[in-house]
Amino acid sequence: MILALTWLTPFAGAILASVVIPPLLALWFLKLRRKPRVVASTLLWTRSLADLRANAPFQRLRPSVLLFLQLLLLGLIAVAIAQPESTGLVETGGRYVLLIDRSASMNAMEDVDGGTRSRLEIAKDAALERVDALLGGGFFSAHAGDVMVVAFGARAEVRAPFTDNVADLQSAINAIAPTDEVTSLGDALAIARAFTTNVDPDRPDRTVAAPAILELYSDGRLSDLAELTLRPMESLVYRKVGTAKDNVAIVALAAERPADRPDDVQVFAALINMNTEAVAVSVQLAIDGRARAITPEPIQIPAAAIISASSSGGAASFRPGSAQVIFRPIAQPRDVVIEASILRKDALASDDVAFVVVPPAKRLRILLVQSQGFVLASALDSLPIERVDHATGVEFDALVAAQTPLQYDLVVLDNFAPKSLPSGRYLIFGAAPPLPELNVYATQKDVWCRVTRDESALLRSASFDELFVSTAVATRPSKLWTIVAEGPDAPLLMTYDAGDTHAVYVTFDLLDSNWPFQRSFLNFVANAVDVLGHAGEAITAQGVRPGDAIALRLPAGSADARLTGPDGLSVAPKVDAGGNLVWGPVLRTGLYDIAFLEKDKAERGVRRVASNLYSAEESRVEPVAEIVLGVDAIAAMDVSNERRSSVWPWVLGLALVILVLEWWVYQRQVRV
Amino acid sequence: MSGSTKPLHRLDDLIDGRLMSKLDQLDVVSRKIFSGKLHGERRSRRRGQSVEFADFRPYAPGDDLRFVDWNIYGRLDRLFLKMFLEEEDLSLVIAIDASASMRTGNPDSFDYCRRLAMALGYVGLCNQHRVSMLAFNTEGIARVSNLRGRRKSSELATWLLQLEPQGASGFEAAMKAAALSRLGRGVMIVLSDFMLREGYEKGLGMVAGRGFDLFALQVLSPQQVDPSREGGVSGDMKLVDSESLGETEVTVTPALLKSYKERLDGWCGGLRQWCARRDVTHMVVESSVPVETMMLEYLRRRGLVR
Repeated sequence: MILALTWLTPFAGAILASVVIPPLLALWFLKLRRKPRVVASTLLWTRSLADLRANAPFQRLRPSVLLFLQLLLLGLIAVAIAQPESTGLVETGGRYVLLIDRSASMNAMEDVDGGTRSRLEIAKDAALERVDALLGGGFFSAHAGDVMVVAFGARAEVRAPFTDNVADLQSAINAIAPTDEVTSLGDALAIARAFTTNVDPDRPDRTVAAPAILELYSDGRLSDLAELTLRPMESLVYRKVGTAKDNVAIVALAAERPADRPDDVQVFAALINMNTEAVAVSVQLAIDGRARAITPEPIQIPAAAIISASSSGGAASFRPGSAQVIFRPIAQPRDVVIEASILRKDALASDDVAFVVVPPAKRLRILLVQSQGFVLASALDSLPIERVDHATGVEFDALVAAQTPLQYDLVVLDNFAPKSLPSGRYLIFGAAPPLPELNVYATQKDVWCRVTRDESALLRSASFDELFVSTAVATRPSKLWTIVAEGPDAPLLMTYDAGDTHAVYVTFDLLDSNWPFQRSFLNFVANAVDVLGHAGEAITAQGVRPGDAIALRLPAGSADARLTGPDGLSVAPKVDAGGNLVWGPVLRTGLYDIAFLEKDKAERGVRRVASNLYSAEESRVEPVAEIVLGVDAIAAMDVSNERRSSVWPWVLGLALVILVLEWWVYQRQVRV
Repeated sequence: MSGSTKPLHRLDDLIDGRLMSKLDQLDVVSRKIFSGKLHGERRSRRRGQSVEFADFRPYAPGDDLRFVDWNIYGRLDRLFLKMFLEEEDLSLVIAIDASASMRTGNPDSFDYCRRLAMALGYVGLCNQHRVSMLAFNTEGIARVSNLRGRRKSSELATWLLQLEPQGASGFEAAMKAAALSRLGRGVMIVLSDFMLREGYEKGLGMVAGRGFDLFALQVLSPQQVDPSREGGVSGDMKLVDSESLGETEVTVTPALLKSYKERLDGWCGGLRQWCARRDVTHMVVESSVPVETMMLEYLRRRGLVR
């Protein structure tokens, strides 16, 4: 550790010196008052002294404990007043923004004095020291300005606005919790600039005050660096945290039920190696927390490669070594949580484990309103759904009028225009529904389908090529509607997604077309039920990324939801009347359980959501030695792995001890 | 016990009975023959010892026939006169340095001088000598004169006990006064440390040339002889001269102590040589030596008493 003697607090140092030096001088004066001793005659003594002085023009420096102690004392006082401080940071004064990275890579563990500490803890300690140096130190500190603390991962958050209150800053820094988010510096810079850039209304090109000095405590793995630049007069100090670089990560985990064996679960995992040496790892598979399989042989993952600038045609790029693991199918007919974990200790643990939730086959409840024939009813009956209820238009209107929450995942309106439509999901045929901005203006006759959006999920294996419609509703929808298929004059098929209302509208009556006789009709109905019935839930099975929100559609009428997650998380998210639950952002990877009370059921239902890192950028934990912001290349300044405290109070304490010792030795010498 | 630091208040403090009984056997010896003031007054109680034969000479008309040695006349048939040393009283003068410098050391040099003076005076009184003492310093000269006989011991002790040292020595003036006094010729003992800035030569010279059988007893405390002893000096000190009150700051080192001892040896050696040239007996007396040892051994060996 290199210490530089800088005068952090010259004024306080002068006060300290004025307090310490006079007693020292007084001590010296006291020492000159030697102990008097009456002797018969000083005649011989004076002559003896004269002899010595005559014989030695310069007195030989005699080894003396007192002399040594006093020199030591003076040296220690000088060191204490100088306030040893670590090198590298800017001078005091002005305003500082401490940007503390709390992303996933900051959870990498570093070896410190035989133990381990996370990079975030080291960064927080360094930030606390910085606050101490700028503002702390009690009596001996000089007021250096204001400090602001921003913690950032995928999003930035102001933990403490500009203040010189050391206690507030310390508590703000201490309260920064780790996350598994990816790193985005842009948000943090934007927030810092919002607080630091005071624009003069008369001179918008200039700021009222000089921008604050930004101090970035990070490992430099910033995903959005290429998009950022420093503004004029902005300065950024990059304090590199950490040294570890060993990491192997799971970047993908998927589970499927093979088509031929629907009761089995097949698991796939993708691994990457961030080390420059090849590694061999074993991967364990656990189902619902119980280990079920382990790779029979260690998986060989090749070393990461750095593609040089010349061969890649641009900047040097990093390509991690990768390998895939396919586990044998496991018999598991019901819903399960599959956990894959790498059995190897490395710097970052959060990417060594991944979860995937294999949901149960969901059975939908559908309400079919005013079906005039068997076509729709038989089409729905052929689908794997729980129940299809039938209602007349009058009954439906009564239900709506009673403001009773609809206990159905999907309502199919067969050529019926209700008086109003509450929030929900609707598959509508024929009569125009009372949805906004549909703009019905006429009917169209003898229509062939002209244009379709084949990429729509509704049209999977459902061609409109041979569709003929004798009569259809002519509408001119606004942009709230998405047209999927249209005839010569007006849309034939469109979707509506606004708020909690999702609708698929087919503008003609089935009986006015030849569609029921085509295979595409059955496929379309299945697609529509699938899309509408599982709208908003696709992400659940896939899991959420740290930083995103959990969005679930629980059975309508569900209540008393309780969400539990990693690190002892337990919250009660709100569920609206339609059963929609949104909670977030998710900060840590892991498994989140959402328990809820379903209407008219005694047992609590449970949904599970997995959150995985799946970020090659965050898994690359090797700290960056230099970050480039536009044209500014900012070299890293190391942050020690150890938490350092100020040295000078100890030096001063030792000096006081030496002072007492010196006085004691002196007293012993003069006491004859 | 001479090493005691107990203050002196009574005769017993100066000289105890045991020492007295031992001193009864001693007498002060003069290497010179002085004519006493009281001619033939005192005969020895022990006849054989008191009549000191000196020589014979042929009889001359007019000589006292009592001193004719008739035995020789019987053998040689010639008249010879026996010549005896004249029995005269002896003047014993003891000069005590009562300057402040004598009040230093452990044991105290001044108290030691008083004890030694008392012992010597007692011997003189017991032998019917005329004992005179004087104590001198710059404040003046105190004296007690012409004491004779054992019974004067208490008077002598009383005088000694009331002495208090102060100021500088006034050595030269005291010796001049002693030389000019009518104390009579005899034995003179000077008790002092002879640490005199003005020098001892002039003062001693005044009495050395006046027919005294002079003894210079240089009384030094143990700390004066070796300052490194307990009660001496060490470390960083400010030395205060007991007489001039002048201050000297010293840091006591082995080199300084060595230089001091060389200086002390030189000072004492100079005094010894000076005395030897003038037939003055010089002795260095350390105040830690018991008075009894001093009287019965050292002074006896040096011929002051027998």
